[in-house]
Amino acid sequence: MAKYPDPSFFKKKDKMNLKLQAENIKEIGGIVGRMLLENDWKHTAGQIAENFKATGKRLSYEASLAASMDVDQWKDFLLNGEKQLGKLYRRGKMATVRREWRGIKDTGVDFYEWCRMWGMLLATFSKDLIPSLNGALHYRWMISYFCCHSFMDKNTLGLRSKALKMHHELIYAIFRYVAENLVFLMKADEKGGNSEELSKKIVLLDEMTMAQIMAGFPDLVGIPYQLMPVFLLSEIDQLACMPYIDAVESYGLPSDTCPVPTSECGACVVDALPHMGACFISSSMPCDGSVMASSYTSRRFKDLPTYHLTFPVRYEDESVMEAAVKDIKGCIRFIEEQTGAKWSWDAYFEAMKRFNKETEYELAKWEVNQTPYPQLIGPCYELFRKWNYEMDGGIDPRIMKTFEKVDKLMMKAYENREEPWRGKMRHRAIVWSVPAHYYANFSNWLANCWGINVLVEMESLNFTKPLETEDKEEALRDMARLYERMVMRRHTNGGYDHVLTELWRQVEIWKPDIVIMYQHVSCKNMSTLNGLFDDQAREHGVRLIWIEHDLMDPRTVSRSDMRAKVNEYMRTVMREEPLDPSLVDFEDDASW
Amino acid sequence: MKDLKYMIEFEDLLQSADNDLVRQAQKDGNFAIGYTCYHMPEVLLNVDKCFSVRLRAPRSTSVDIATYYMSNYTCEFARSLLERGIEGGYAFLDGIAGVDACSAMNRCYEHMEILGINEKPNFFVTHCDIPYKIEDYTVDAMTTQMRLRLLNVMHEKCGVDTSDEAILAAVDEHNELCRIMSEIGDMRKQDNPPITGYEYHVLCLVSYCCPTSYILPKLRETVEEIRSRVPDEKKWYRARVAVVGSEVDDLDFTRLLEESGAFVVADRFCYGSKPGREEIKIDRNGDILRQIVEHYMRTSECARYMSEEKISQRRVTADSLARDYRADGIVFEQMKFCDFWAFERPLASHILQEEFGWPVLSIDRPYSVRSSGQLRTRFQAFVEALEIKKIQQRGGEV
Repeated sequence: MAKYPDPSFFKKKDKMNLKLQAENIKEIGGIVGRMLLENDWKHTAGQIAENFKATGKRLSYEASLAASMDVDQWKDFLLNGEKQLGKLYRRGKMATVRREWRGIKDTGVDFYEWCRMWGMLLATFSKDLIPSLNGALHYRWMISYFCCHSFMDKNTLGLRSKALKMHHELIYAIFRYVAENLVFLMKADEKGGNSEELSKKIVLLDEMTMAQIMAGFPDLVGIPYQLMPVFLLSEIDQLACMPYIDAVESYGLPSDTCPVPTSECGACVVDALPHMGACFISSSMPCDGSVMASSYTSRRFKDLPTYHLTFPVRYEDESVMEAAVKDIKGCIRFIEEQTGAKWSWDAYFEAMKRFNKETEYELAKWEVNQTPYPQLIGPCYELFRKWNYEMDGGIDPRIMKTFEKVDKLMMKAYENREEPWRGKMRHRAIVWSVPAHYYANFSNWLANCWGINVLVEMESLNFTKPLETEDKEEALRDMARLYERMVMRRHTNGGYDHVLTELWRQVEIWKPDIVIMYQHVSCKNMSTLNGLFDDQAREHGVRLIWIEHDLMDPRTVSRSDMRAKVNEYMRTVMREEPLDPSLVDFEDDASW
Repeated sequence: MKDLKYMIEFEDLLQSADNDLVRQAQKDGNFAIGYTCYHMPEVLLNVDKCFSVRLRAPRSTSVDIATYYMSNYTCEFARSLLERGIEGGYAFLDGIAGVDACSAMNRCYEHMEILGINEKPNFFVTHCDIPYKIEDYTVDAMTTQMRLRLLNVMHEKCGVDTSDEAILAAVDEHNELCRIMSEIGDMRKQDNPPITGYEYHVLCLVSYCCPTSYILPKLRETVEEIRSRVPDEKKWYRARVAVVGSEVDDLDFTRLLEESGAFVVADRFCYGSKPGREEIKIDRNGDILRQIVEHYMRTSECARYMSEEKISQRRVTADSLARDYRADGIVFEQMKFCDFWAFERPLASHILQEEFGWPVLSIDRPYSVRSSGQLRTRFQAFVEALEIKKIQQRGGEV
């Protein structure tokens, strides 16, 4: 089996513009120099002293807690870890004050995984380090990737035993993909490595455009253009996209649009997207805002040949299929013309066989999670599902091992009737509408604070029909069906039945007692159904907790405002008290 | 200028979707098909005994119930229509011809279905899939959609003839209407024209909101009247503007603009005449339906079309209309909370200003502007800016 990604991509010759780098370093040096000169050092000293004081206070509080524990509590502490997770946060801090104590065994596992992640990151970046370092000096979003360990930590908060191991496996696979693609981006970018050889091999895909089409081009690499500088970035660091939003709003964009396309357009305005690639596959998916963001990208990069991949909205109507298939054929032809590569059915079918197998594993997870003993739940699983479905799409053979490993762990945990958040399962929930887990670390908080375990979210419930791997025409039709049912499109396009009636169908299957209803205030597609959801939830006897948010713009709805909605509901409607009172109200506005 | 004979009657017809002519047509055994979007070929709704009614919600005030259903950050046009529908304002319709072009309007139609705003037994709401770019296969796909999801449904529910002959008859009538509207519209190119932008907006809206065969005789008379109409000696406006952007069916918008000293010389917005009032040229030996579909796709200026040539077409059309109609500047407007035009407006405004050299006023606006003080101030300031520019061009001579 060929190695993935092609090792020769890392070795493509760089043509770094040294003069440009020198100018940039000079500019950065100037900025740093001015910052040092203009800094209020007295204030900084005061802050350091305050930090010491706060650390002292925390240590003495933790010492007093330790002193008050009896033998059983000590035993529990050593085996199962700490219970008050809210004390890990401190006002105004970007990171938690320390790592979580999960009990002897799980802390060991966690630390091993922490080291493994560092090892992988260092090994990957060392394949061509200089362009990435250049990139870190050109693009401020690159700096946010230094906190990917923090992202890993917050998404595994409170997890124990096999659930912890599974989550680490999944997030490792995602970050390996991220690291490799960051290296490619920075190598090929004109401001970074400026590797023309590599750039010719790169096909840029529009936000959310599925990668499966690239499976037929094993000699090329498809990179979701805005994934690293915008989308994943915002999930790692919710505050990172605000400069993009501000820039494009200053340009004239109204503030009521979805922050995703808004940030993408803002990234064009502030020149935060790398300049590279043989061509760009723009798409009409998933929503009206995304359609429009393409015009900003194509205006910014006029020299980047663009193909608009557009699929029918009323996708259940098979009469529109022919146009969808012709559009895919047009896209394949376009990539061939722009790159000189040839579409390979063998490579495509091989990858789709893997993808089908991965879908089988996915369905097995759903089956387990539908039982009274759900195992693989939480943010890492949700993120992995989306990444695998959209961006990996069976292309990377290494992912099969991740699936196998996780499946084994999951079945073992199911046999043992384990709980992912040990002793914390009070409610079964599903998440509907535009999810905001990652920005606010929300599913994790729900489980740790209130014992609300999110079994699945709307965006995971996509196309599960096995894709055709023999008949070429049918394979193209299946690819169209798959793309039409991509993340954020399967439910929001093609009529209310796909999202409104679908919720009641899923409630029957998953049997939740709560539905976490994310209300993304700027999503026109979902918010235009608010009233019907409420009306029909009453008819179906389903409890909806509405949580307003604005994805990567916490200035519209802050994380603590989101949490307050649940706190209020749980106390007033459900008349419950939290499992971890330290998590009811804490300040994390400045944290990643 | 002397008042136009039918102006008050036309204004009255625009006070309600279910106007006198619509009622008369239905009394005569015709079927009213509501629609909103240019993506839906108007002429196809006028075959045989069907007639099109482009939906509006005039005199809208509160949209509270629609806001409960569709939330407050969504298109006010869609919400106003839903509110009017819930109030019973569209109970007269025999069907709604919808396109799945923008999410807000699509949801509006869906609510009308789910909430049962119309109790007629054969009432239908149809949703057609609309392409994002123009290729042979997308024209074919849309043609199929029009056949399966529109014409066949109209035939089934209303029992009307949807043959090529019936479609051609509708095209002939439509083309006559377009010739009249274009002739009147072109008079706005004159330095001292015999029609105001407001009057033209009224004529244009009645041509969309009334059954074609019932409004046509009155429009024939009106064009005759305007041909011989003598304008006042002194020009009544201070600056000529082209209005470009999203849906405007609010007469108060044009009234407010013209009260501020502007003359709306070109109406490149949905529910305006550009596009919408161009003749459809048909090769009678070719595929009639496909040609009609292609006409609407090619003339559409909707921001939803995302391919490069359509993006460029939108900018070139705005520029050439402004030139042809001798505008001094462009008002680029956008319905508040409309995603398509929200993204299009800032970028296109900058391009029209920086690359095409037009003074541009870029605004977002509510569905009903009423007597908005904010908009009035912006319009007045823009007119003043255009006047100053003209004075400067004349070397400071007032």
